[in-house]
Amino acid sequence: MREFAGKIGRSAINFTKHTGSVWKIFREVLYWIFIAPFKGQPCKMKYVADQMNLIGIGSVPIVALVNFFFGITLAMLTSYQLKQVGSQELMAGLVGVSFTRELGPFLAAIVVASRVGAAITAEIGTMTVSEEIDALETMALKPIRFLVAPRLIALLIMLPCLTVVANVVGMAGGYVIGRFNLHIDSSFYIKLTFDYMVFKDIWTGLLKSVAFAVMIALIGCYQGLTVRGGAAGVGISTTQSVVQSIIFIIIIDCLFNAWFYFI
Amino acid sequence: MSILEVKDVQKVFDNRKVLDGVNLTVEKGETMVIMGGSGCGKSTLLKIMIGQLKPGSGEVFIDGEEIVHLNDSEMDRVRLKFGMLYQGGALLNSLTLAQNVALPLTEHTHLDKKIIDIMVKMKLAQVGLAGFEKKMPSELSGGMKKRAALARAIALDPSIVFYDEPGAGLDPIVAAVIDRLIMDLSKKLGMTSVVVTHEMKSAFRIADKMAVLFKGRVIACGAPDEIKNSANPYVQQFIGGSLEAASVSAKDSTEEYIKSLVEGN
Repeated sequence: MREFAGKIGRSAINFTKHTGSVWKIFREVLYWIFIAPFKGQPCKMKYVADQMNLIGIGSVPIVALVNFFFGITLAMLTSYQLKQVGSQELMAGLVGVSFTRELGPFLAAIVVASRVGAAITAEIGTMTVSEEIDALETMALKPIRFLVAPRLIALLIMLPCLTVVANVVGMAGGYVIGRFNLHIDSSFYIKLTFDYMVFKDIWTGLLKSVAFAVMIALIGCYQGLTVRGGAAGVGISTTQSVVQSIIFIIIIDCLFNAWFYFI
Repeated sequence: MSILEVKDVQKVFDNRKVLDGVNLTVEKGETMVIMGGSGCGKSTLLKIMIGQLKPGSGEVFIDGEEIVHLNDSEMDRVRLKFGMLYQGGALLNSLTLAQNVALPLTEHTHLDKKIIDIMVKMKLAQVGLAGFEKKMPSELSGGMKKRAALARAIALDPSIVFYDEPGAGLDPIVAAVIDRLIMDLSKKLGMTSVVVTHEMKSAFRIADKMAVLFKGRVIACGAPDEIKNSANPYVQQFIGGSLEAASVSAKDSTEEYIKSLVEGN
């Protein structure tokens, strides 16, 4: 029992320590994004553009694929349920609202956390073990400015864009079932989708994606910057980065839903 | 005038004293070689001298300025006075050689891009890598990486260049080329060099002054001839690469070895 309590205590101390370090990185990155440019030290736009290409454009196919099939699945499941009350056409609105509020931002974030979060940790982690981060510091160059800020900016821009892609493609998946299985007319299906949707559904989803972007970037970069123990350490940190990002995405999503729709 | 001074520096890691009152003085323009066996505290001392690690106690002066108590932005100002060559080169793998060498110039000067391009070519030519501007670090051999990293380290014409095991992992000919570059920088450009190494041949080739570290202390310091003729048995054992001395664990008795395993010393 004492051992168990000790384990819990140590975990709590570690969690507090890591949270403090991530918070420190966050404060520093905010400085480099919002204050430093006015002091003549902007982030390199080339690095941001490179990251946007890597993070955003590179993730479009997989985000589209996952959301399209999820849209089909959701449409099939809901139309099956709605059939019992004779209102299968309500499926269009249900799919639309589900994607804009929840599934679009959530699935896009999960895909990006798995694909991009892992890549960020692996890249920065490799730089850490090969002393590239130390070399930057010795040249009086800030790793947060050169490595973390461009990735955070790129994610802040690209994850909401990917969320829009996820929303549209997910609804297209629902349309496939509505049109070819339920034989609903195309224009009527689109009308049904937007009839049940309000503007709040869209902006709350996009706001969530912004929070997810911050979380993925911070966890990915922090895990990379704190890699210890060579190649094996990079592997461990990469796994931790993906697992922690997904856990925090789920927790933040839950908190946002509670805030937007219940409080 | 001394350009680098280390005064009574101590550092403890996990109750283990890695540095135990190190004192060292490096004069302007000289090449100081710090030697010692694995785990003697050389790398820790180097990290403290470049401000990457804070000592438990003691002081470090670079060009007359005490650096231990400086904050991060003040330390950045001091960092511009020195360059550092890491053991593996530590070139940024996502950038070409030219971009690597240009990085400190673009970030710390207001020079025109054309001037920077010319300076990059000059620096790469200085280390024998003219024409390699567009190569990526992954396309280079170990020796070429180190030479490119040296070009980056001297990009801002620093007063001091620190070297961490410059010859490690290189064949003797390439290691000699690196040694020649270190000597050229010192003799022709008047740069001060601080080299951490345990390669004897290289150390005696380049050193104006040598310091031998043992168990976190400087046990001998002086000109290469003084070190060669040192009466200290560990120094003789170290430069001779011999097992015949009391300080080496290979000579420990079986009882001592078992005791060290049990007590974790």
